[in-house]
This record gives sequence, structure tokens and C-alpha cells, in this order.
Amino acid sequence: MCVLCGQDFVAQVHWTDRHLENRARASGPGSDPVAFQGDRRRDRAHRVVLTNEVLRHYGLRVEDWGGSKYVLRDRKGRSELVQDLGSLWPAAAKLAGRRPDPLDSALCEALSAAHEG
Amino acid sequence: MEDRDTRRPVTVVTGFLGSGKTTLLTKVLAAPSTANTAVLVNEFGEVGLDHHLLRRVDERTVLLGSGCVCCTTREDLVGALMELLNLDQRGEIPRLDRVVIETTGLADPAPILHTIYADPVLQHHFSVDLVLTTVDAVNGPLHLDRNPESVKQVAAADKVVVTKTDIAELGVARVLLSRLGKINPSARIFEAAFGEVDVHELFRPGGEGTHAPSLAEEPDELHDTGETHSVSVTFDGAIDWTAFGIWFSMLLNARGEDVLRVKGLLDVGEAGPVVLNGVQHIIHPPEHLGEWPDEDRRSRIIFITKGVHPEELLNSLLAFRDLLGAQPLPLHAEQSVAFP
Repeated sequence: MCVLCGQDFVAQVHWTDRHLENRARASGPGSDPVAFQGDRRRDRAHRVVLTNEVLRHYGLRVEDWGGSKYVLRDRKGRSELVQDLGSLWPAAAKLAGRRPDPLDSALCEALSAAHEG
Repeated sequence: MEDRDTRRPVTVVTGFLGSGKTTLLTKVLAAPSTANTAVLVNEFGEVGLDHHLLRRVDERTVLLGSGCVCCTTREDLVGALMELLNLDQRGEIPRLDRVVIETTGLADPAPILHTIYADPVLQHHFSVDLVLTTVDAVNGPLHLDRNPESVKQVAAADKVVVTKTDIAELGVARVLLSRLGKINPSARIFEAAFGEVDVHELFRPGGEGTHAPSLAEEPDELHDTGETHSVSVTFDGAIDWTAFGIWFSMLLNARGEDVLRVKGLLDVGEAGPVVLNGVQHIIHPPEHLGEWPDEDRRSRIIFITKGVHPEELLNSLLAFRDLLGAQPLPLHAEQSVAFP
């Protein structure tokens, strides 16, 4: 971690973040850094909204943490800091006491009910 | 994307004990086009491999804290690949065209992919473009019955080379081909009688080669071969890549060891599709293509699972339709084979 800005140097980019990472690299020197940051922020905000739709079923919420990490909270005030979706699910399992599973029929019913409701 | 072009392609050759990996490699290395190909083997077998860039590696695996077998790092491979990279960059050997890694018969290919994609240095210099699996036409059916590793190797393959077809009975070979196609409908199948195979075609990612001929009596799109299932899915519109990432990362966390393989092209509402390719937990860095490879612009994705029933996957994708922005539809086998 950089002691000045608190940023981690992440050697391993999770595959779900690869898209933005590649775009940042492809833009190259001299391009507008603000445009990329806007995209990145929008993308993260969108991911937070969608992930919360799923996490609601497990009594959890996730928020963007300074644009560099995500903070996952439960209703008892416990929280976990996670880097990406790769580390979010194990942390969610720890807080919720069960492993979030997209094949879980209760989760599927809850999401389908939200669709109809 | 310029870094993608400079990465050296890596081919992983897997196959069960005695299935003809070394014989195949001997033929391949004799071809003039493979002069600048380095080969990493686990053991010098009885079939003498003679090649100036041959290195032996002792399988040394380091199990990471999470304890999952496919997320292990092969320290031996890191060392061997770094050595090759150093020689190459110092100009002591001609620029490497390709590295071929031969695994032991029992090896699961996933840790090799993990090693290359997770290493902070190697991930920028090497990229696995092809997993080749050899299956012996004589003993293959027995291996598939008795050894789950063998099924995993077929599921992980981009190309399957069926060896010893010269000594197998015709009927046995035909049933085997059909079975391979059911385990992994996305793999291209090559036949290598007497170890003869077109080296150029074999090492070209994508390329020719036929898909396994289906014996055509089962019209349904869901293939069951014992515990292994495969299902191909499309969507009725463009899907949200972020939502797919959430669904799939969650699936891998919950059922990673049961998802043997995923491969496909996804329409994410951009000019070109996203290429998705994963072996168990290990997802190749997804590539966003500038354009579609052919006329068919629908998403097509195939899942090969162990123990997870295709309906469960389809129902889950259906439940996620609001987040994904499109509804999943099962694809018929013959539509699903046209993968990159």
C-alpha cells in the first residue's frame, strides 16, 4: 500500500474489473484522465446498485469506499472491506453465515418476486 | 491492448497416462515451424524428446490459504517460465514463438492457468491460448469411466486429440467421439492415427478441426453424461456485463469446483462481443472484441458442470433477468458449437 495516498497496488486485477483496466491502458498517455475516471465511477456505482439487489436477500449492503474498495455491511453494524467481486462473496458468506449462491431457490424466488412486484 | 500482442502464447497439453501426449509432442517438435517453441515437461519419458528448448520441471505446487485445488500456484512453472523469459529478453535464445507445457497424466490443468494469470510478472508476458487434451481411443472410455480427472481434462480442452485411432475398433472410436462431444461440445476434435496430426492446425487458436459428430438421436439441448452436464444458453437481447460479472463471480464462489468449464461470446450491447473463457475458478482475462467474428450476433455461452443440473443454471439466470437486462434461452447443440 502507498503510505501517501492509501492506494493498494493490486497485482491481480479481478476479471470483472478487467474491462475498465484495459480501457484505461488503451487510452494511453495524453488522453483525458477525467473521462476515464467518470466511466469508472459510473461503472462502480452501477455495480453497487446491482449487487445490493442480490445482497438484500442476505441482509447485507455494499457501498463504494472512496472509489478504490467496497465496504460490505450487515444490519448489526459489522463491516468488511473488499477489493472486488472476487473477495466480496467470501466476505458476504462470513457476515451472513451462509454462502451466497445464485442457484439457491429462495434467492431466485426473491428476485423473481421483485420482478413481478 | 498492445500488451496482448506481446505476450507469448502458451499451450497446455494434458491427457491421461499413456494417452499419447509425448508421442504427439515428438511429432509436433519435429516440424520446422516449431523451432522457437520451448517445451516444459514433467518427466523425460521413454519416448525420447529431442529439442534444444526442452526443460524438465518437477511438479511443485503451493496450496494457497483458501485451500482450493485449482487456485494453487505451480512454483516450478513460475521458475521455468521466468528462466525462459530471461533467456529470451537477454537475446540468448531466439524470440519464443510459443511455450508448450506438458502436464502429468493426473494433472488438473486449472492450476497451470492460475499460475500464469496470477503471477505478477508472468501475466504480462505469457497468455494461455490453447488447452490440448489427448484421449486414447483404446483406453479413453475406461479412463473417462474411472477417473474424474480425465473428464476434467476433456472439459478444460479447447482441442481434443484422439490418439491411437489406428488400433482402436471403429465402433469404439465412434462412441468415444460422441461421448467427448457430449462432455465438451465446444471443443474441436482431431484424430491422430500413429501420432500424425497437422501441427499447424493444431496450434492455431480457433482454426479448423471438426466438432464431435453427434450421434443425432438425442434432440434435446441438455447433455448428460453421468455427473457431467453441459448446457448452452443465449439471451433475447444484450446483457449487462456488470450484472453477468456479479452472477458469475457469485456462482464461482459458491460452486466453483462444480463448474468445470465456461466458454462463450456475450453480447453486452457494444460493437463486438466479450469473449469469456474459464476453467473452474480460473477465468481468462475477458476480451472485448471490436467486432463479431461472424453473422450470428447473439450471445452464446456454454457451461460444463459436474453435479449442477442445467435447469438450475437456467432458472438462476431467469431469476436474474431484471439485473441482466435480458432473458436466457437454451440453445440447441448444433447452434452452440460455433465458438471462437
